Amino acid sequence: MAKQLHELNLEFKAENPAKFPSDFLHYGVVGSGDMEAIMEKKELGGAVTVKVVTPVTGYDEVWRRVLERFVNDTGIADASIEINDNNSTPVVVSLRLRQALAEIAGGGA
Amino acid sequence: MIAGRWEQLQSKSFLESNARERAIGLADSGTFTELAGPRHRISSPHLPLMGEAVEFDDGIVTGVGLMGNKPLFIASQEGRFIGGSVGEVHGAKLVNIVRMARNSHDRMLAANPALPEEKRPAVVISFETGGVRLHEANAGLLAHAELMDQFQDCQGKVPIIALIGSKVGCFGGMGFAAAAADTIIMSQFGRLGLTGPEVIEEEMGKDEFDASDRALVYRTTGGRHKYIMGDCNLLVADSIAAFRDALRGVLAKPHAEISAMRRIGSLEKVLHQLRLVALCVKLAPRDSRDVWKYAGNGSPDELADMDFDTFLKTAERLVIDDREG
Repeated sequence: MAKQLHELNLEFKAENPAKFPSDFLHYGVVGSGDMEAIMEKKELGGAVTVKVVTPVTGYDEVWRRVLERFVNDTGIADASIEINDNNSTPVVVSLRLRQALAEIAGGGA
Repeated sequence: MIAGRWEQLQSKSFLESNARERAIGLADSGTFTELAGPRHRISSPHLPLMGEAVEFDDGIVTGVGLMGNKPLFIASQEGRFIGGSVGEVHGAKLVNIVRMARNSHDRMLAANPALPEEKRPAVVISFETGGVRLHEANAGLLAHAELMDQFQDCQGKVPIIALIGSKVGCFGGMGFAAAAADTIIMSQFGRLGLTGPEVIEEEMGKDEFDASDRALVYRTTGGRHKYIMGDCNLLVADSIAAFRDALRGVLAKPHAEISAMRRIGSLEKVLHQLRLVALCVKLAPRDSRDVWKYAGNGSPDELADMDFDTFLKTAERLVIDDREG
């Protein structure tokens, strides 16, 4: 059997939602052990949807926890996040998502 | 997006920059517009079937920008995504940005035959690739052929400038493509070749070529060697600004002068290359340093290690006498 890419669709709601400060944001490169993310403003009644596409299976619960923590820590709301991953560790996922947000604040291209 | 970002990119190492940073930084400040970018999510249709990770831009940034009054059609490959390899989408984006440049040229000239050269389009490709993506090899190979076709059709119309100074270098079929550009600008960290070091070692053995010997790899495929051999036209410092300055310098020349920098494309150019081959047969060099010495460099050992500015001042480039039979 040919193996397929694993797709994960999750939804979160931040405990202290804040306004998502960008219409569209792309950050990162899908290198080995790395990932990219698109974050887009989307009216979701305060929720955040996350779609993860990754070769990795069996770590759905880890993804959920890392993403839930990111949403709660940053208060990101009304946004759609799409991630292309190539075997990132949870620490890298967490770091890249925060870097993506920092691009908006700090002035990314 | 934010003022100051472009300025920061200028001093950034070309080697360390990702494909998008290079594309944005090479064009004039604020002028780069990405086409078929991540927003459009055109990723490989083949990789998911093999369980391989995909990227929204399939490892290449394409778009348009300006350099002064000149429209630049820019492609920039991302080596961190599957070695910058050319798959179906990646290849289509690369081929079509060149096609767009030529179509724009034709339309602009049809509308205004007296359009000065400084306003005519040019193609800039920042290569970082090992060539065909083996996962989608047929599509990748086809893209190589299509790209060479586009280069051919651009001759005499749209100058094609190759920039090589990124980690992966420029190898495989894309080594051929770069060699078919009008001008090649490299940094000393750029590498250019056909068969990559690892592949040579795997096929021919460690005695033939030791791919773990960095010094050997660089003095065989690296920018300094390519500069001495005439395989690249210009050798520049490792910053986006340095590549941009060299690019601007080249594009300021009359098109005929840019075309004269080509390696192939005319009978004279091919004869020149054959004389170079004949010379190498005669010299039978054991190492690139033997050729450096023949080119007039008395202490070839020092060339590889001296600092960059001294190298540029010191290095003698190989001269082939085209009057010989």
